[in-house]
Amino acid sequence: MIGFLNSYAPLLELALFNALLAFSQYVVLRAGVFSLGTAAFAALGAYAAAVLATKLAMPAWLGLVASLGIGTLAGALVAIPLARLRGVFQALATLALVQIVLSITLNWVEVTDGALGINSIPKTVGLFGMIVAVLAVGYFLAVIGTSSIGRAFDIIREDETVAVSLGISVPKHHMIAFILSGAIAGLAGGLHAYNSYSITPNEYGFNMLVMVLAMVVLGGRVSIWGPLVGAVILTVLPEILRGFQEYRMVVQGALLMVSIVFLPRGVADTTLAALRRRRIAAAKAKTGTVTA
Amino acid sequence: MKALTLDNIARSFGGLPAVDGLSLQAPAGRITGLIGPNGAGKTTVVNLITGLLKVGNGRILVGDDDMTEADAPTLARAGVARTFQNIRLIGDATVLDNVVAGFHRHEKAGTLANMLGLPAAHHERREFERKAYALLDRFGMTALARHPAGSLSYGHQRRIEMMRALAMEPSVLLLDEPVAGMNDAEAYSLADIFRDVARQGVAILLIEHNMRFVMSLCEHIYVLAFGRLIAEGTPDEVASNPRVIEAYLGS
Repeated sequence: MIGFLNSYAPLLELALFNALLAFSQYVVLRAGVFSLGTAAFAALGAYAAAVLATKLAMPAWLGLVASLGIGTLAGALVAIPLARLRGVFQALATLALVQIVLSITLNWVEVTDGALGINSIPKTVGLFGMIVAVLAVGYFLAVIGTSSIGRAFDIIREDETVAVSLGISVPKHHMIAFILSGAIAGLAGGLHAYNSYSITPNEYGFNMLVMVLAMVVLGGRVSIWGPLVGAVILTVLPEILRGFQEYRMVVQGALLMVSIVFLPRGVADTTLAALRRRRIAAAKAKTGTVTA
Repeated sequence: MKALTLDNIARSFGGLPAVDGLSLQAPAGRITGLIGPNGAGKTTVVNLITGLLKVGNGRILVGDDDMTEADAPTLARAGVARTFQNIRLIGDATVLDNVVAGFHRHEKAGTLANMLGLPAAHHERREFERKAYALLDRFGMTALARHPAGSLSYGHQRRIEMMRALAMEPSVLLLDEPVAGMNDAEAYSLADIFRDVARQGVAILLIEHNMRFVMSLCEHIYVLAFGRLIAEGTPDEVASNPRVIEAYLGS
C-alpha cells in the first residue's frame, strides 16, 4: 500500500490539483458564467505563494492565505465589469485576462523570474495536504450547491428570464460565482507551487484553460462529482495512453468528442440521473402507485 | 392588497406598435380578464408589466407605487408573479425544487449563511419545503415531489408553473394562458384554485385566448386587438360587443 502510494503519489497530487482547478471552472459554469479565467486566477495564486516563499521567506500558511486572497480579489475585480456581460463576451474577456496574467508573469522578471519560472520552492504541501484541500473545497461547494445560491445558479444557467421573474439578481450571482472561482483557483495555484518545487508561466496558459474546461464538460457541471470525475479521467488518461506515444493527444481528443456527443451532460451527471430514474422506478414498483 | 394599474402604456418594435395606449385596472381580490385574438399583444403586455420589456410610454402602478422604470427582479420582489405561456421550468430539477424556487423573494438568511451552511439557511430551506408541500397537496401532486419536472406530463408541468408563481405569495398574479392545451375538467379544477387565490386578496390578471373560460371566471374583461383596447366590461357586455365579435370571427 505504502509502495503503491509512493510510486503514484505525484500522479495523485496532479489529479488533486486538477480537481481543484476543475472545481473553480465548475462553479462559474454552473452559474451560467462562461469564464475561462481559472488559469489566470491559478497563476496569480501560484506566483503569490512562490514569491512569498522564495524571495521573502514567508511561511507556507501565509503564502496560502495570500494565494487565496489574491484569487478572491482578482475574481471580485473581474466580476465588476464582466457580471453584466453574457456568454461569448465573458469568454473572450476572461481569455484576455489569461493573456494579461501570462504576459505579466513572463515580463515582470524582477519578481517572477520571467520565462524560467520560479524554482526551488520548498515543498511544504504533500499528498495529505492536497487531499485535505480537495475535501474541504468539495464540501464547501456541496453546501453552496444545495443552498439557495446553488438553486439560483441552476435557474440562471437554465433560463435567465425565469430567474429574473422570480426576483433573482443575475449580476449578484455572477459576482458570487466569479469570486468563488477566483478563490478556489488561487488556492489551487498556491498549493501547486508548494507541492511541485517550481512553477513556470507556460503551465498557466492556453493548455491549462482547455484542459480544465474539458474536465468539467466531460465530468458534468451540475453535481460536484462532475469536476472530480473529469479531473481524474483527464489526469489518468494520458498515463494510460502512454503506449500510443505521439497519437496520445489524438486518441484523447477523439475520446472527448465521443463522450460529449453521447453524454452531453457529462459522465457524472448522466450517471446520477440514471440512478435517480432507477430509484424512482423502484419506489413506484414497491408502492404500486400509478403516476402519469 | 394591491391593485395593478396600467395607464396608457405603449410599446412598439421597430416602429410597429405592439401595444398602443392600453389602460387597465386589475383590482385586488378579483380576477380580471385580458383577452384577444392571436397576435393581439397579450404576451407583450405581460412582458411589459413584469419588466422584461421596457414600456415606451405610459405608467405601470402596483398599488400606489410607480413601477414603470423597475427591472424584472425588482418587480418580482415587489410581488408581481407570472406564469409563462410556453412552460418554462428547470426540467432536470425536481418538482419540489422548482416550486421552492418561487420562494426566492422571501429569503432572509443571506448569502453568507447560505455559503457556510449556517442553521438559519437550513431552517429557511425547511420552511420553504414545508410550504411547497402544502402547495403540492393543494394541486394534488405530492406523490410527484421528487420527480424531475421535465419528465412529467404537460398538464402537470402547467401546474408546477402555477405553484412556483403562487410560492412567490404575490400581490399581483399574471396568468399567461394558464389552461392552454388542457381539457375542460382540468381547466375548471384550476379555476377553483384561481378563485381561492383571488379571495385571499391577490389581483389576478388572466390572459387567455379561450373566451369561454374567461367569461366563466372574470367579472371584468378587457379585449385587445392589434395592440389596442377595443372593448371592456362585464362578460355579457363584451360578448355582445360587435367589435369583439368582429375581432374574433373576422369581418
